[in-house]
Amino acid sequence: MGIFINGIGVVGGFGSGVSDLVTCLEKSTTPLKAQGTVYGPASLADTSHLEVFVPKKSLRRIDHFSHMAILGAYLALQDAGMPSLTGTRTGLIVCSGYGASHTTFSFLDSVINDGDACASPTLFSNSVHNSAAGHISILLKLGGPCLTVSQFEMSVPSGLLSACQWLQEGRVDQVLFGAVDEYCDVLGYCWQRFFGKHNNRIMTPLSLDRQSALPGEGSAFFLLSRDKGDSLKHVSIIDISIGNLVNEDVPFPRDAVFFLGADGHKRCDRLYTNLIPPGTQAACYSPLYGSLPIGPAFDMAIAALSFKEGKIFASPESVADQENYSIIKRNSPIASRSISCLKLGKEGELGMITLAPGS
Amino acid sequence: MNRNAAVAITGIGCLSAAGMSLKENMDSLFAGRRNVAPPKRFSSSHPAPYPVFEILEDLFPARKLKNEDISRTCSLGLTATIEALKDAGLEPEGMTGLKAGVCIGTTVGSTMNNEEFYREYCNGMHPDMAIIERFINSNPASVIAREFSLSGPCQTVVNACSSGTDAIGIGASWIRSGICDMVIAGGADELCRVTYNGFISLMISDDNPCRPFDRERKGLNLGEGAAVLILESDNLILKRKKKARAFVLGYGSACDGYHLTAPRPDGRGLKNALSDALMDSGKTSGDIAFVNAHGTATRDNDRTEVRVLREMLLGIPFLSTKGYTGHTLGAAGAIEAAFTVGCLESGMLPANAGFTELDPELGASPVTDVTGISQKIAISDSLAFGGHNAALVIGLERE
Repeated sequence: MGIFINGIGVVGGFGSGVSDLVTCLEKSTTPLKAQGTVYGPASLADTSHLEVFVPKKSLRRIDHFSHMAILGAYLALQDAGMPSLTGTRTGLIVCSGYGASHTTFSFLDSVINDGDACASPTLFSNSVHNSAAGHISILLKLGGPCLTVSQFEMSVPSGLLSACQWLQEGRVDQVLFGAVDEYCDVLGYCWQRFFGKHNNRIMTPLSLDRQSALPGEGSAFFLLSRDKGDSLKHVSIIDISIGNLVNEDVPFPRDAVFFLGADGHKRCDRLYTNLIPPGTQAACYSPLYGSLPIGPAFDMAIAALSFKEGKIFASPESVADQENYSIIKRNSPIASRSISCLKLGKEGELGMITLAPGS
Repeated sequence: MNRNAAVAITGIGCLSAAGMSLKENMDSLFAGRRNVAPPKRFSSSHPAPYPVFEILEDLFPARKLKNEDISRTCSLGLTATIEALKDAGLEPEGMTGLKAGVCIGTTVGSTMNNEEFYREYCNGMHPDMAIIERFINSNPASVIAREFSLSGPCQTVVNACSSGTDAIGIGASWIRSGICDMVIAGGADELCRVTYNGFISLMISDDNPCRPFDRERKGLNLGEGAAVLILESDNLILKRKKKARAFVLGYGSACDGYHLTAPRPDGRGLKNALSDALMDSGKTSGDIAFVNAHGTATRDNDRTEVRVLREMLLGIPFLSTKGYTGHTLGAAGAIEAAFTVGCLESGMLPANAGFTELDPELGASPVTDVTGISQKIAISDSLAFGGHNAALVIGLERE
């Protein structure tokens, strides 16, 4: 496949930018915020750093969902050295599980509180799933192909497949690829109804007797290219597998380290335990970014940073140890191994993104 | 990877207010029938109801579904898929072992905006969580993949009003690259109060039946529906001894980078999308029989679109079919791609419903009567919120 990662931008409860993410990986903790959430603690993102890139007045009609996406996009470009994006040769792909959920409900507020005839046009236009892509394309003056994908937990592998297709077809020279999801009180309420109100402070993924997921929000963006250029130690995407456990044998790469997308949801976490080949080495970082549909984008960022730093970061201590395979709990050399970021959905959907040092 | 290879369309399913199958739709188009009326499934407090194109028939009566607790958008998508698979001669058991993908465009179908649930939530009540479970179980591409036990790539495209066009273009690329032997590609969207109020709030809805490209046009009417194309690899067609109905010859996509809800006045994004689609196809404007335009009947859309068509495809007949279906949002591009094949096959174009008077600002009129065509290639294009544009070149023959 040979698609190179030339820049990474991340925003989440851990902070903004790769340095904040690396700091969080080294410390293995992320601060959780309880304020304003009806469900309990959540890993929430602060986008105030966005004003470094975009004048405040240009952001005032743009919502938090798009703020996170725009900040992630700018950080990825900054990480790549702010390359020129003019013309039609840069594609844009944004993935999201739930879209601009807060704005969607705010639009409903305008209908419910003020009547059908007083619905808010600004909220309506910002509630559309591709609003974040629209804002990014406007701010960056992009003119190439543009796509927004919403496939719940499989949004990231599915959207990434299209990014790689565009590059391999020669449709574009680079793709600004990213993912974003936000927390809102209605989502928190749904969590409470489904899982009960909680006081968890720590996620304990892969502990199969316990529902420990904590909501997260944020964005992760990447500048992808066929040309390795000044890429991050030449990290490349070598494979994307999308399928379903029901029908297929899983084509697990040999000698790969697995970054598991387990995020404290009992039902899904069990699938990983049943699937990972014995003896495999695996890591899990969801306690650092929270539970959200676009979690695989954070795992992909951590995988790329692992190659850049030359090591597999230790999983947080709260990740449950497993009998059949080992969870990496200490920083360890990456050697020549590839990294496969594996995400499983509750219906057995599978998405796996494999990264390797690019030659 | 060869971007220029034609991808076969072996089956089509389509439903809208104009009919419950592609044939019924085409019959309505050529007869000039418009099933437009105030919404019957929901009410509103607007002083006068804005008309919509609503499907009032039952969906998929002939099939027992694996999971019937799905959204109306998914039901529409499945109904179109069932027709398309039948048209392609594919039985569910015949798809076992195929690398089969699903790529579906939608807008409403991916949005967690259930008004009943939210009203109860706001009132401190205990809303039924089955509504949320239904939403979680109703990703349109996943529902189709689950129903037919498909395990290839699955993608729900949410590019607003160009989603259906993009989904077909993306599905075609999966065939070209060998990722899939077969792709179920298209779009589906249901009418709902939320989008109904949203478009009215933007003041781009007409309180009368819509009039695409007309001097007095005031905006769109919403509609609902779905269309699905079965795309197949050459190897699978050979193996199945199946003849293609048509081919996806090219696809282009480009953003305006201009405004969230208004098209760029100079149409740069649409021009880029059309140029890319034509380049993919290896065709020139002289090869094109007609353009199935987006033609929403909003002032801005129609002005930009005609400006671009006059610059790039001067003299080529164009029409909007939204006068028969309403604007079906994420389904629109797929429905219009299906109509494009229907028109090429019949060698005729329907009249652009709702048009009566030339707009001097546009300087061009759409097709006003049922008109014969002889060429075998056409374009279907879409413009969308977010400043997105997409175009397909579709032909009856591979070359």
